[in-house]
This record gives sequence, structure tokens and C-alpha cells, in this order.
Amino acid sequence: MVTKTEEKQLNRLESQVDNGGGGAWEYLCLVRKLKVRRSVKVLKHGLWILNDSKKRSSLGPEEWTLYEQVAVAAMDCQSLDVAKDCVNVLQKKFPESKRVGRLEAMLLEAKGSWGEAEKAYSSLLEDNPFDQVVHKRRVALVKAQGNLSGAIDFLNKYLETFMADHDAWRELAEIYISLQMYKQAAFCYEELMLSQPTVPLYHLAYADVLYTLGGIENLLTAKKYYSITIDLTGGKNTRALFGICLCTSAIAQLSKGRNKEDKDSPDLQSLASAALEKEYKQRASDKLSALTLAFKTLKVSS
Amino acid sequence: MGSGGELRYEISQNAYIKLVLHSLKHKTSAVNGVFLGSSCDDVVQIIDSVPLFHNHLGLLPPLEISLIMIEEHYAALGLGIVGYFHANERSDDVELGNVAKNIGDHIYRYFPQAAILLLDNKKLEALPKGERSAPCYA
Repeated sequence: MVTKTEEKQLNRLESQVDNGGGGAWEYLCLVRKLKVRRSVKVLKHGLWILNDSKKRSSLGPEEWTLYEQVAVAAMDCQSLDVAKDCVNVLQKKFPESKRVGRLEAMLLEAKGSWGEAEKAYSSLLEDNPFDQVVHKRRVALVKAQGNLSGAIDFLNKYLETFMADHDAWRELAEIYISLQMYKQAAFCYEELMLSQPTVPLYHLAYADVLYTLGGIENLLTAKKYYSITIDLTGGKNTRALFGICLCTSAIAQLSKGRNKEDKDSPDLQSLASAALEKEYKQRASDKLSALTLAFKTLKVSS
Repeated sequence: MGSGGELRYEISQNAYIKLVLHSLKHKTSAVNGVFLGSSCDDVVQIIDSVPLFHNHLGLLPPLEISLIMIEEHYAALGLGIVGYFHANERSDDVELGNVAKNIGDHIYRYFPQAAILLLDNKKLEALPKGERSAPCYA
């Protein structure tokens, strides 16, 4: 996960390099550090460095890391010839390397040779059962074939060993959401909130999942988690503010006829709607009328 | 269901292009969007579209808020939600998943002549000018 400042810095570097302002190597290092997926740019600028022998030799031993990075980017862009060339260069330099073996297996996966790639990954895992990257590539392989339940099985087994891998928990939650298995997705977000309680994204996603599950209990809990998100983000998270309005209106609808008085509910809702109106006035004043109409539909008092 | 006659759907270039561009911008995720338009006699005219999300398509709160605001905004222009667009995450997946079906059913309840368009990635790849296929479900 990348913060806003990191993303701004990355985008600034990217446009600088795109416009010929230099800094390609810094850009590639930053992409590698932040683990973002910008394969088209990485391929373009990486090849620009690698194809020039002077620039290449000025990198020193980092040259091989760049070959690896460009190989993966090429596979993502389906430029399999470029990928094969990079892997061949690495093979010549590091003949018995497991890391290169991994790249070769990824090449099989990129080609779509599912059976051979699966064999390659399994044998790599036999030699080193703690290779996280290969485990995750195996999950990706199964997911790419459309076998989402297989992907879920593999991911669950992986998470039994590597419980602290947040990206894996997030991926599992996303797969569950796409299959509409909301209870299981909620469990994943609960794990994430336990290990990283100050990241507002997980609270927000958990609240969204609870709201989607529905039912008064879940709606009340969802409202609490939207409130936590607002607290953690200093009131700047629009989705959470909207979430509060939606929850309050849904709870009101469900508890019609029952005398469930939630005492702080009208205050919370009016605070949220006031905050939303302020934000819209600042950032998108032409859409303010749409917001007011939406509040009317939700029967929000502001 | 319908009145027995053949329903025709006309889609404007603007509406179509917006959604195809949205799916091209987010090649690695599933995307969806809604169609706005009106119907008269046997022709449903799709005049505009609004791209919705490119991840977590199965979550309800963002969907509810966006549909409410879209309806309000376009009601002032005399248009309503007449269809739904969906593009799957994987390029060879041409099945309409459960999420898309549920959203489509929901829209159908409000507008019985609604259509669902599913992006056919193979056709999008083959022709640079882009082409969409539609198992159109009414």
C-alpha cells in the first residue's frame, strides 16, 4: 500500500522521466521499493537503460536487478521476447540460481503454459517451502485460470504459515468480495485491523462489508467503524461520511415501528452531512445540488 | 416481460466510448458502469454513461450512493438509468458473474427494458477501434 505523498513523488518522477528530464534509474528504484505495478513505464525506461551499454555498465552490480525488474515488467506487458532475452542474460550470469529459476517459471506462467508453470513452481517449493514469492505466484496462476476456489484454498494455506502478510489478507478479502462471500471477507479485514489498527482503509472496508451483509446489528456495527475511520482520517474520508448517512437512513428504515431510539444517531448524521456539504462546497461546488437531493432521498436531516 | 415486440437499443458513441476507455484504463481489474437514456415505443436510446468502479465491485455503500446521485442528476435532464455495463477481470472470462447479475436485476426492477452489456475482451483486442459484444439481458 502506498501513501499519498509516496504516490505524488512517484508520479512527479514519472512525468519528469517521460518528458526527457532524466532520473530514469531513480524512478525504477522507487517503483521497486514501493512495489507498484507500472509495467509499461518500467519496460520503456528500463529498456532505454539496458540497451545502452554505457548506461548499463554505469549501474555496476545493480544491472542484474534491473534485468530482473524489466523481465517481470515485460511479462506483465506480454512482451515475452524481451522477457526471454532478459532471463537468458541472467541465466548466463547466474547459472544455478533459484531466483532465475523463479523467473523462468514466471515466463511459463506468462505464456499461459499452466501445467508446466505449476510443475516448475511446485518443484521450487519442494526445494524451499518458505519462498513467499513462489507461493503467491502459484495463487496467481490458479486465479488466472479462473479457479477462484482453488486460489482461496492456496491463499488460506499460505496464510496459515505467513500470517503477517497483509497483502495476502487483502487479496483474499477481495476474492471473497468478488464471490459475494461477505462473512469471510469480514474475517480477513478483522485480521488486518488486529495487526494494523491505525490503518483507516481496513476499518472502512470492514464497515462497507458489514453494510453489504445487512441486518440491524451489522448496520450498527458498520456505523461504529465508519466513525472510527473518520476519527483516524481527521474527518477527511468522504466514503466514511457517506457511509454514516447511509447507515443511519437504513437503520431508520429497518427499525420503523420498533422503538429503538439511538440517542446519538441524529447528531452523528447531521454532523456527517454538514461535513460532506462543506467538502463539496470546497471541492465540487457544482455538484452540491446533487448532494442535497441525495440527502433528501436518504431522508437525512442536515 | 416485454410487450411481445422486438426491442431495439441504440447506443450513442459518447456513452460507448466512455465505458470502453474506463475499462482500458484499468486493465487489471473488473470495471462497471451504468447507462443513462430514455425509451420511446420500441427503442431504448442510450445517450450517456457513467463509469462506476474499478475494484470492490461487490460492495453496497458506494454503489447505493452513486446510483442515488446519478439518478438525481440525470432526472433533471429527463434521463433515467436504462442499463448496466460490466467488464470482467480476466480477459477470457465471458460469464456474467453474480455481482453483475444482482446489480442488473436491481436495475431491471426499476426499468424492465434494461440491458446489460458485457465487454468481450477478445473483440476489444482484435480491433483497435474496439468492439463490444453484448449478451444483452433484458
